[in-house]
Amino acid sequence: MDQILSQYFDLSLMWDHFDEVLAGFWITIKLSLLSGGLALIWGLVLAQLRQLPGRALAPVRGLAIAYIDVFRGIPLLMIVVLISGSLPFLTFLPESVRIPHWFGEPDPFWYGVMALTITYGAYMAEVYRAGIEAVPKGQMEAARSLGMSHRQAMRNVILPQAVRKVFAPLLNDFIALMKDTTLVSVIALNEVLLVGRDIYTDTYNSSALTLGAIMFLVVTLPLARFVDKLISREQSRFTRGAPRVEAL
Amino acid sequence: MKKSSLPTLLAALAVFAFAVLAAGCGDSDDDGGSGDSGGGGGTLTVGSDIPYPPFEQGKPGNYTGYDIELMEAIAKNIGREAEFQDTSFDTIFRDLAQGRFEAVASATTITDEREKTVDFTNPYYLSEQALLVKEGGEIDSVEKLKGATVGVQQGTTGEEFVEEEGDAGELRPYPQGPDAVSALKAGTVDVVVIDIPVAENAVEGGGGLEISAAIPTEEEYGFVVPQDEEELLEEMNEALDELKDDGTFATIYEKWFKRAPTDALLSATHQAT
Repeated sequence: MDQILSQYFDLSLMWDHFDEVLAGFWITIKLSLLSGGLALIWGLVLAQLRQLPGRALAPVRGLAIAYIDVFRGIPLLMIVVLISGSLPFLTFLPESVRIPHWFGEPDPFWYGVMALTITYGAYMAEVYRAGIEAVPKGQMEAARSLGMSHRQAMRNVILPQAVRKVFAPLLNDFIALMKDTTLVSVIALNEVLLVGRDIYTDTYNSSALTLGAIMFLVVTLPLARFVDKLISREQSRFTRGAPRVEAL
Repeated sequence: MKKSSLPTLLAALAVFAFAVLAAGCGDSDDDGGSGDSGGGGGTLTVGSDIPYPPFEQGKPGNYTGYDIELMEAIAKNIGREAEFQDTSFDTIFRDLAQGRFEAVASATTITDEREKTVDFTNPYYLSEQALLVKEGGEIDSVEKLKGATVGVQQGTTGEEFVEEEGDAGELRPYPQGPDAVSALKAGTVDVVVIDIPVAENAVEGGGGLEISAAIPTEEEYGFVVPQDEEELLEEMNEALDELKDDGTFATIYEKWFKRAPTDALLSATHQAT
């Protein structure tokens, strides 16, 4: 038992390395927020492309579906390694794209952003789709019969309802994305996992990793509670006899 | 803990404890436990974490490499036959202390911390770090690491060296050596600092790389025996001396490293504590 305590919960070691681990976690946060934001947008674009009406746009729908299927089917870790290992060799691209150092962040950071956005965009597209399909068909028909175009109906009638329905699952995906940022450590981005492992190789003690895990919990636990609350609110709106819940 | 009656708790603890043991290779509480090795005659069981070319490589039953061949020669010299067991480096010292094998030949650096739990023979290899760059690369000295993006393998001497001596602009520790090498080829790092034999392998692998400088470090590799096996330690040291004297050592060294051993290596000794 003592060994477990000293190996994983060495408080003085955690204290000594707190700044380092926090600096690593800050990179994790930046990576999560940026990729999360981009994936939200990219997912919405994909979901929209997938819902486009008419025979003429069938190829676009097909491409969107293919993209979503492919990137939901490939492990994120492989995408990370593939991007960082191949993008620098695409010599027809300018060097600032092949080996990006935008906004002072090193290239592994940007490879991570790309991989997370590509993959989670596909996941989130499916979430949006579920939301769009949960809005009764009659809504679209009614909007179209009032003379709105498909685009107008989507933007003004369907999406406001759809996004509201899937807000909680989207947040769940964001939590998953945040945890998956640790995968970018394999291309030597100094995020929280890599920092913890580095400290481990110096000290043969895992407490810095435990500290990193605790930092994750500080962020993810409140988010998870918030998601639960959202879900129960959303459900109570549709429960017969429940008091009307004020808009979120 | 033994008296807990909750099977699930026990199972969870067992998993946890296993993780601790697996992670605790640097811990000093692995001492005690004498091997039940017979000593003298017959086979000499040797633990090694394979592969780690060119020190140890090959398939079970047909292992080869610098460590392997040298250990075979030593065993022969003391009238025994070496038998190798592939094992994980994480737990190699614990397994040695528990008697799973009688000695370790696994590119093992002699350190004070390890010295507390095991004994080392005289050094049979002096480690050097290489500065690995793209052909025509400019970085050919420790001073020029200043401001550069440096790739290393996590947990290696190379990483430690750059942290302490090199004023790197950015240090990127990759999980595996080859990851660092491919980052160099891709141009995302400027230079890789890594063990010379690994760097030589990378250069041979093609891709327009070269070793721009070799940096001697204080690192010495030794074979390892449990602490209470003074007789075996002495036998192995004597055998190593003889092999160095009669040229067998140099032959094996040249076979694997393509150059002659230095005088410093041939005369290197280590006093086990």
